[in-house]
Amino acid sequence: MNTAATTPTDEHADSHDHEHHDPRLAHHFDSHQQQFDTGKLGIWLFLVTEVLFFSGLFGFYAVYRSLHPEVFLYASQFLDTVLGAANTIVLLFSSLTMAWGVRCAQLGQTKGLLTCLVITLACAAIFLGVKSFEYTEKAHHGLLWAGMYQSPEHHEAAAVPAAAGAVESGDHGAAHADDHSDDALFEKTKHTLSYMTTVLWAVILLSGIGLAALFKNPNQKTMAAVLGCVLISAIGLQLGAYASIGYHHFGHAAEPTAQEIEMAETVPAEYAKQKEKIPEPKLAGTFFSVYFCMTGLHAIHIIGGMIAISWLIVRTVHGAFTTYYFGAVDFIGLYWHLVDLIWIYLFPLLYLIN
Amino acid sequence: MATVVDSSDPKSNYPIQYRELNYLNCSKGWKSWFFTLDHKRIGIMYLMGVTVSFFLGGLFAMLLRTELLSPAKILMGPDTYNQMFTLHGAIMTFLVIIPGVPAAIGNIILPVMLGAKDVAFPRMNLGSFYLWMFGATFFLAALVIGGLDTGWTFYTPYSVRENNASIIAALLGVFVLGFSSIFTGLNFIVTIHTMRPPGMTWFKMPLFLWALYATALIQILATPVLGITGLLLIVENVFRIGIFDPSLGGDPVLFQHFFWFYSHPAVYVMILPAMGVISEVIAVHSRKHIFGYRFIAYSSIAIAIFGFLVWGHHMFVSGQSKVVAVIFSAITFSVSIPSAIKVFNWLTTMYKGSIRFTTAMCYGLSFLFIFAIGGLTGLFLATLATDVHLHDTYFVVAHFHYVMMGSSLMGLFAAVHHWWPKISGKMFSEFWGRIACLGVFLGFNLTFFPQFMLGTRGMPRRYYTYLPEFQELHVLSSMGAYLLGISSALMVATLVYSIYRGKKAPANPWGGASLEWQCSSPPPHNNFDHPPLAGDPYVMESVVYNEEIGGFVPAECQGDNNGSGTAAGEKEV
Ligand code: HEM
Ligand SMILES: [Cu+2]
Repeated sequence: MNTAATTPTDEHADSHDHEHHDPRLAHHFDSHQQQFDTGKLGIWLFLVTEVLFFSGLFGFYAVYRSLHPEVFLYASQFLDTVLGAANTIVLLFSSLTMAWGVRCAQLGQTKGLLTCLVITLACAAIFLGVKSFEYTEKAHHGLLWAGMYQSPEHHEAAAVPAAAGAVESGDHGAAHADDHSDDALFEKTKHTLSYMTTVLWAVILLSGIGLAALFKNPNQKTMAAVLGCVLISAIGLQLGAYASIGYHHFGHAAEPTAQEIEMAETVPAEYAKQKEKIPEPKLAGTFFSVYFCMTGLHAIHIIGGMIAISWLIVRTVHGAFTTYYFGAVDFIGLYWHLVDLIWIYLFPLLYLIN
Repeated sequence: MATVVDSSDPKSNYPIQYRELNYLNCSKGWKSWFFTLDHKRIGIMYLMGVTVSFFLGGLFAMLLRTELLSPAKILMGPDTYNQMFTLHGAIMTFLVIIPGVPAAIGNIILPVMLGAKDVAFPRMNLGSFYLWMFGATFFLAALVIGGLDTGWTFYTPYSVRENNASIIAALLGVFVLGFSSIFTGLNFIVTIHTMRPPGMTWFKMPLFLWALYATALIQILATPVLGITGLLLIVENVFRIGIFDPSLGGDPVLFQHFFWFYSHPAVYVMILPAMGVISEVIAVHSRKHIFGYRFIAYSSIAIAIFGFLVWGHHMFVSGQSKVVAVIFSAITFSVSIPSAIKVFNWLTTMYKGSIRFTTAMCYGLSFLFIFAIGGLTGLFLATLATDVHLHDTYFVVAHFHYVMMGSSLMGLFAAVHHWWPKISGKMFSEFWGRIACLGVFLGFNLTFFPQFMLGTRGMPRRYYTYLPEFQELHVLSSMGAYLLGISSALMVATLVYSIYRGKKAPANPWGGASLEWQCSSPPPHNNFDHPPLAGDPYVMESVVYNEEIGGFVPAECQGDNNGSGTAAGEKEV
């Protein structure tokens, strides 16, 4: 019988002093190995639930795509493949640095770990920046979810003579069609984008404050690290947004060049015909419902990952991780790879429909 | 016997250093509860939350049954009635039955049964309790805002309406509660995998742990789908994305598929842990080794797996193809096989055992009786031709109350009584406990048996009024409901009374052989200082009764070998 398991001195509920005094080993585990295995199984199970969570959306995608293939064919052309691809590369790269970071942690290379984490965080922020540009731009063309969707046809109505220009990607085409009003639209986009990034800035700032509050005995180092994370996130975000707006603007100005015209004359003529054959389907907005739900949920996961990575950064600065205690890095790394993987599926499913 | 001094009582005269410290008195103040990482305290908080929700949901039930005393309007009109049954159903399912056994009892008992100090992720455990509270708050908000009348199933298009804040609040509640449930399940799976004590192989685990494991599998595999469905429905309500809303080209039947993909497995989240409890209770109170251990363990897993393949049986009349309906019907039949295996094994365990009709056992026997009826009536509903007639009638209502209220909740009651001495360190009055059990059993059957008859005669569900010829049966049912309500209040009163006036409980009052009975009652803060050596949890001969202590002690500790406890029987099957 273990009746006398507690000694009278064990007064306080959550202060356990046992045989071991290793602060890195939680009181209810026997060994570091057990602690690590437990965390590992835990994170894998968590990832399973994450996959299932998204599976609802994928299921819903599958149902609607099989019911209304024409909607997907028609509407996906409004997504900018270049931006999507750029984001894919950014995320893939961040996965690489994350994996590298895990390796550094295992080898006890604190500096390397820190560098890798910082780069990963920056990549995540850039991703968000590009995404916010894409959202804003969609919003300005009225390409929103079913309840708010406005047909882009009114843009293109005047564009029949310039149909050849409307080949490559729908919204560029629209831009061609009505240069003047579209410039205004573009200015508006830029304006709203600044709103959107401001909101995201606020989110980042709040997360930073929350993160700082999470640490029990914050000192200057903690504060500096948190501040650093906030700055990296904000700068990355702005960078992503400006880069995509620059790309867009550049594409904008450069479009009616010889190259464009040549393109329009050669291959895409068929496309142009093909496209004309696809009238706007009735439920075009449903595609954007899918688009916003899936990428929105994914973006929330990115933000969650950024918070987790920032937490890792702060702990790394404090030298929390050692060769036998790096579980947290490993686990958050796994999470990050999953978020990445989901995007790898989202990109072709949404952007590359042909 | 008479002079057992309760040195663990904080009010006892012993100075603190001589007091026996346990998890209840080792620290004080609300903070030591609200920020505790101790699985036992978290479990207790769950138990209290569940009890409060149970009485809130019960209150709604009483009001509903009162309205149904006559076809005329007594208390409320149709709109209020709709809101009331919605809240009743949602509270009972999401706040009472789903967390009841796993989160409340499982939290307290699972690590002790494993000889572990805590669950794998204590912080996450506390977090999941807070999520539960948070979810409950959303439900309360839905209640206060008013106007939630979709039924607990939230079927579209009822649930997609212009600015209906209460629907959104309730859905948020469901979403948050789902995550609470996921985290509990995740914690349990990891704990069982990585923290078993030396000697406890998978097939030396008490069956309650197998049941919790199977439950946890469902929790983590099905609940995320409910989460995303609820989220999409919220988004649908707020932004009108046209996924489920037919007016925007959405598909309401898709919602039903998503919903039942979770909610059918969820009914096994409700019943499996209760089945695990029954395996323990029947074996311990019959003082006999459980019969067919492996069959019970495997059937838990089989139920968990099959449970994912039958959701379509809720939609036989919702417009799915005939082939699909036939397939769903067939799989539904097969899912009842593992349940029947369990019932068979429990009955056989009792055969030639020395059954003691303790309160826990009485609830266990009630479970067997009621679950048999509940399960068998499920087969009528799984049969396509009969379901077309019975769907959306009181027959379905009676069926799921037999399995949810009659079985899951009976399982919870059995668990509470079985482990009460361990949890509280006090013995409750067996006399009043048994009276309450009798009342619950009779009241339950009186309430719901007439509903089978009403259903077969064509009384549809979810109406506040009915044809006059149904009145007699409805009145019977309402009478039963009152008896049920009073008896469950009596049950709680008996237990609460024992906290103040009950005798101090011995470590092992019933003679169980699993690890939690080796730990003092109530357990110390850390359960076990060193992982104990686990043997077969069902060799009841390994413990013998000791007059002095008033409970069972390990056979090898009993000084004189009086024949009954020769071998500890550790390696016996
Ligand atoms: C033993 C095997 C079981 C079978 C074959 C079975 C079969 C069915 C079928 C076919 C229905 C659909 C009836 C209809 O809507 O027309 C149904 C409804 C239901 N069952 Fe079962 N069931 C079983 C066990 C359980 C258990 C163990 C629970 C819960 C603990 C449960 C809870 C429910 C609920 C809540 C509903 C109705 C949901 C609603 O429409 O609101 N069932 N059952
Ligand atoms: Cu079902």
